[in-house]
Amino acid sequence: MSSIPVIAQSAGPGAARWAARRRRRGTGGANRRPGWVTYAILAAVLLVAAYPLYYTLQLASSDAVSIARNPIPAILPEGNLFSNIAEVLGGRVPFGKAFVNSLIISTSAAVAVVAFSTLAGFSFAKLRYRGRAPLLVFVIATMAVPTQLGIVPMFILFTELGWANNLIGVIVPAMVSAFGVFWMTQYLDQALPYELIEAARVDGASMIRTFWHVAMPAARPAAAMLGLFTFVQHWVAFFWPFIILTSNNPTLPMAVQLLQANYFTDYSLVMAGVLVTTFPLLILFVVAGRQLVSGIMAGAVKG
Amino acid sequence: MSVITPRPPTAQRPREATARRVGFRQRLGRWDVKVSPYLYISPFFILFAVVGAFPLLYTAYVSVHEWNLLGGQGDFVGLTNYGDVFAQPTFIKAIGNTFSIFALSSVPQVITAIALAAVLNANLRAKTFWRMGVLLPFIVAPVAVGLIFGRLFADDSGLVNALLTQVGMDPLGWHSDRLTSHVAIATMVNFRWTGYNTLIFLAAMQAVPQELYEAAIIDGAGRLRQFFSVTVPQLRPTIIFIIITATIGGLQIFDEPRMFDDQGLGGPSRNWMTVAMYMYDVGWGNQKNFGRAAAIAWLLFLIIIVVALVNFLISRRIATSDSPRGAARLLARGSGEAGHTPAADAGRPTSASKET
Amino acid sequence: MRRRTRALVATAGLFGLALTAACGGSPGDADPDPTTDAGSDEQITLTVATFNDFGYTEELLAQYTAEHPNVVVEHVLAARAEDARANLTTNLASGGEGLSDIEAIEVDWLAELLQYPDYFADLSDPAVEGRWLESKVAAATTEDGRLLGYGTDVGPQAICYRADLFAAAGLPTERAEVAELLGGADATWDDYFEVGRQFVAASDSAWYDSAVSMYQGMINQVEFAYEEGDGTPIGLTNPAVREAYDAVLSASTDDGLSAGFEQWQEDWVAGFQNDAFATMLCPAWMQAGIEGNAAGIEGWDIADVFPGGGGNWGGSYLTVPAGGEHVEEAQALAEWLTSPETQVQAFANAGTFPSQVDAYENPDLTGAVNPFFNDAPVGEIFANRSLAVDELGFLPYKGPNYFAIHQSVQDAILRVDVTGEQNAEDSWSAAEQAVADLGL
Repeated sequence: MSSIPVIAQSAGPGAARWAARRRRRGTGGANRRPGWVTYAILAAVLLVAAYPLYYTLQLASSDAVSIARNPIPAILPEGNLFSNIAEVLGGRVPFGKAFVNSLIISTSAAVAVVAFSTLAGFSFAKLRYRGRAPLLVFVIATMAVPTQLGIVPMFILFTELGWANNLIGVIVPAMVSAFGVFWMTQYLDQALPYELIEAARVDGASMIRTFWHVAMPAARPAAAMLGLFTFVQHWVAFFWPFIILTSNNPTLPMAVQLLQANYFTDYSLVMAGVLVTTFPLLILFVVAGRQLVSGIMAGAVKG
Repeated sequence: MSVITPRPPTAQRPREATARRVGFRQRLGRWDVKVSPYLYISPFFILFAVVGAFPLLYTAYVSVHEWNLLGGQGDFVGLTNYGDVFAQPTFIKAIGNTFSIFALSSVPQVITAIALAAVLNANLRAKTFWRMGVLLPFIVAPVAVGLIFGRLFADDSGLVNALLTQVGMDPLGWHSDRLTSHVAIATMVNFRWTGYNTLIFLAAMQAVPQELYEAAIIDGAGRLRQFFSVTVPQLRPTIIFIIITATIGGLQIFDEPRMFDDQGLGGPSRNWMTVAMYMYDVGWGNQKNFGRAAAIAWLLFLIIIVVALVNFLISRRIATSDSPRGAARLLARGSGEAGHTPAADAGRPTSASKET
Repeated sequence: MRRRTRALVATAGLFGLALTAACGGSPGDADPDPTTDAGSDEQITLTVATFNDFGYTEELLAQYTAEHPNVVVEHVLAARAEDARANLTTNLASGGEGLSDIEAIEVDWLAELLQYPDYFADLSDPAVEGRWLESKVAAATTEDGRLLGYGTDVGPQAICYRADLFAAAGLPTERAEVAELLGGADATWDDYFEVGRQFVAASDSAWYDSAVSMYQGMINQVEFAYEEGDGTPIGLTNPAVREAYDAVLSASTDDGLSAGFEQWQEDWVAGFQNDAFATMLCPAWMQAGIEGNAAGIEGWDIADVFPGGGGNWGGSYLTVPAGGEHVEEAQALAEWLTSPETQVQAFANAGTFPSQVDAYENPDLTGAVNPFFNDAPVGEIFANRSLAVDELGFLPYKGPNYFAIHQSVQDAILRVDVTGEQNAEDSWSAAEQAVADLGL
């Protein structure tokens, strides 16, 4: 692929300098601390990654007039943040309910996707049976189904089932993910040695026991990432919840949308709503982040 | 580490596994081995039948009929809707836009993600902080990304053009020039997804066995050399994974370009209308032509399949050393029969030994 | 349509019916008596789906419950009309079972909904005859006399202007003088553009915000813009379309009267704070938009005048989906919500201008002033403008293909006025091509 020279350009100098520094210090191995260049690159990346969120904070702490007048917002947040947040939370949009709904949906989806994907991944990666490869290809092909068009048939089906304006109508389609199956298959194929499975089988463990005691622990790092990704994905999803739920029973992104009106939108309030929506995920990140990173590490030590 | 220390297999050896019950256990075991694999993948297929296959077949049925979204089913028209779609210059333009935005987002995204993952793979201080920092944009809802970047890229009153003007450059026509609008939309996509792909690459990089690096160092390979002859080949399944998922997601792109202006139609010249947006407009917009929209959906589906296949074949050649892994290997092998060592098989050795 | 849906999901349906029966929605389901009517004591909940701000506050809805103790009204509010429309369309396409008891619609959606009147209960009722402006009722009535919706508000247009910018450019500032300056009762578009040319010669600001908005104002005074009376599309062949297009673009670009914004976009919003333009076509509901976007700007005022006579932009109806469980009760509620008295309250709450004739005599309306617009007597002004719309004697006919064709012209104007991609001539050719591609 044509990408390789570009990688050389972008990753090359830093990597090369890093290697040189390592050589200067005289020892090999991957455990050397990298130099300041690496941190400088990362800091720059972090700045880019974080600025739009900071911009949100800048606007959320401002007011409509000053937003319209100043394309470049004041560097430090202004004083209206808390009053804006209070106005959003105390307004007609039911943010509390939205928060609970989003929490239920995202948690259910994350748990179900991880469970079902790990099961399927174990099966696809490590078990032998007729039709395995074509079925896996089929799973991947299902990702190509354009989601927007599923709306009408799914809506018809779900209203018949009584799932319209019901959280079940959002949760059920979120319970499996082709991406998750693909992801766990890829991971388990690499991370789960056949010897372990064989050992369990020779000891007379049933398939499900083998799965639970051998595959699940091996899958943990990837499962943690998949769980987090799935949680976030449904936390921020807008379109299907918007179609199947009503504005009286919204999710958080629907609630943010509700802050916008046709004739006049106070962006300081909308951005405050964005912050309110994003903040719980930030907390989750801080709490789960360490877990996640150590999860990634656990996968690494295996080698 | 947790991986190699599950409850030790010996600990779970069932005490009651005595000779008396072997017959039953054998039968049960055989059944277990035969059925379990299908059982484990069944939740996906059952739910897919409801949320994927049913809509897809329904859509296929709709696409060969005259069908108004509100008026319902009309006459059977065969492939007329498909022909009509191809006759629409807007459809052709939408395909061009979709591929352009896709190229502008996926290529830089994958390259940046690999490079960043390589940087993050170092033994950094405050690892968690940097890794989570990279993933930060992922938690911003697309609705919010649309709002934020809509303001950043406003032509007269946006931050980006204001900064460009301040440093003495001409403001850019984010909503008037086709390529520029694609860059703006690709920026939104890249903002949200680069960190996500970085972490996926990082997880894969961490799984690369240390010995390979040590061997390379002994051979006198520099850092760069190590990256290309050890890391990249080892990442191949992940690269394939990300390219396939990015292709599928990228060609279905809908939210970002739709939120790029108030009308959500890709601007007055449809400069940033993508195929998914076009489908939505034909079905839900002024025409309410559900039949034609269904045909577009199917065409999009087929395009995605073809492009994903092509990308898969290309990315399979990224590196030549080392054997491909995981689903990629499965895919590469087709039936999955060739080159299997007896040990590389979970179900069969045990069941075979019991069967004989 | 509903039959089709059922057939398609026949298998799932069996399963679904059981579920629906098991966990059916409102308390009314529990009542085994099928002959309940509005007068009974049965406790029911009616849902009302609206968008934007119809002025239906909780207090206002509580009044209904006070008068009808067995009815609780639940308000389902979408922020934006487009959101509500996507929801309504998806619901209707799926058989309409997820709809509220009352669904609000905008006048612009009528063209397509009138083609499928069976989705909605026929609301015609001798008791409400003569309640609304004739044009309001006519637009929602099918050929065979079914009434699809009860009118709520209308969007009679006046001219909103910046008195301070007028003064700086040496133009009169009093609203009566401005109305006279723009041509008074016989105002024409030429008058309006001519004053604009004087204004821009003496000011850094543009005369109006958006060329599309001007075109919209002009084309709404053409009876058969893109279709014949029977709905046959005529593309862009009506010379009045081309005339309006040329007039708007020549004023906008050649004379520099337009600020070059697309309405509702970020730049347009910012334009309010940057003195970017001095006038706007101003339907009654636009007051809220101007007041919000131009917060802190002093000088906005409203002149009781409109080029070419009257012009209406927007306005809504309440419909009752035919498949609802409480159609009769919902109709009674819709009747109450659209009564002149209730609508005047809604007007006080949200500035939604009544479509009910009697409301124009109501002192709460006629006495209404808007402090933001220099205490303009908006009740009186918009009542006058509303009657002027009715005096036009016809309504622009908007059939099933109206908006698809209109979109092409609108895009063409945007390409010239906002993005500057093309000149007027090329853009027109592109519009003709776009209309041809519609394959109508």
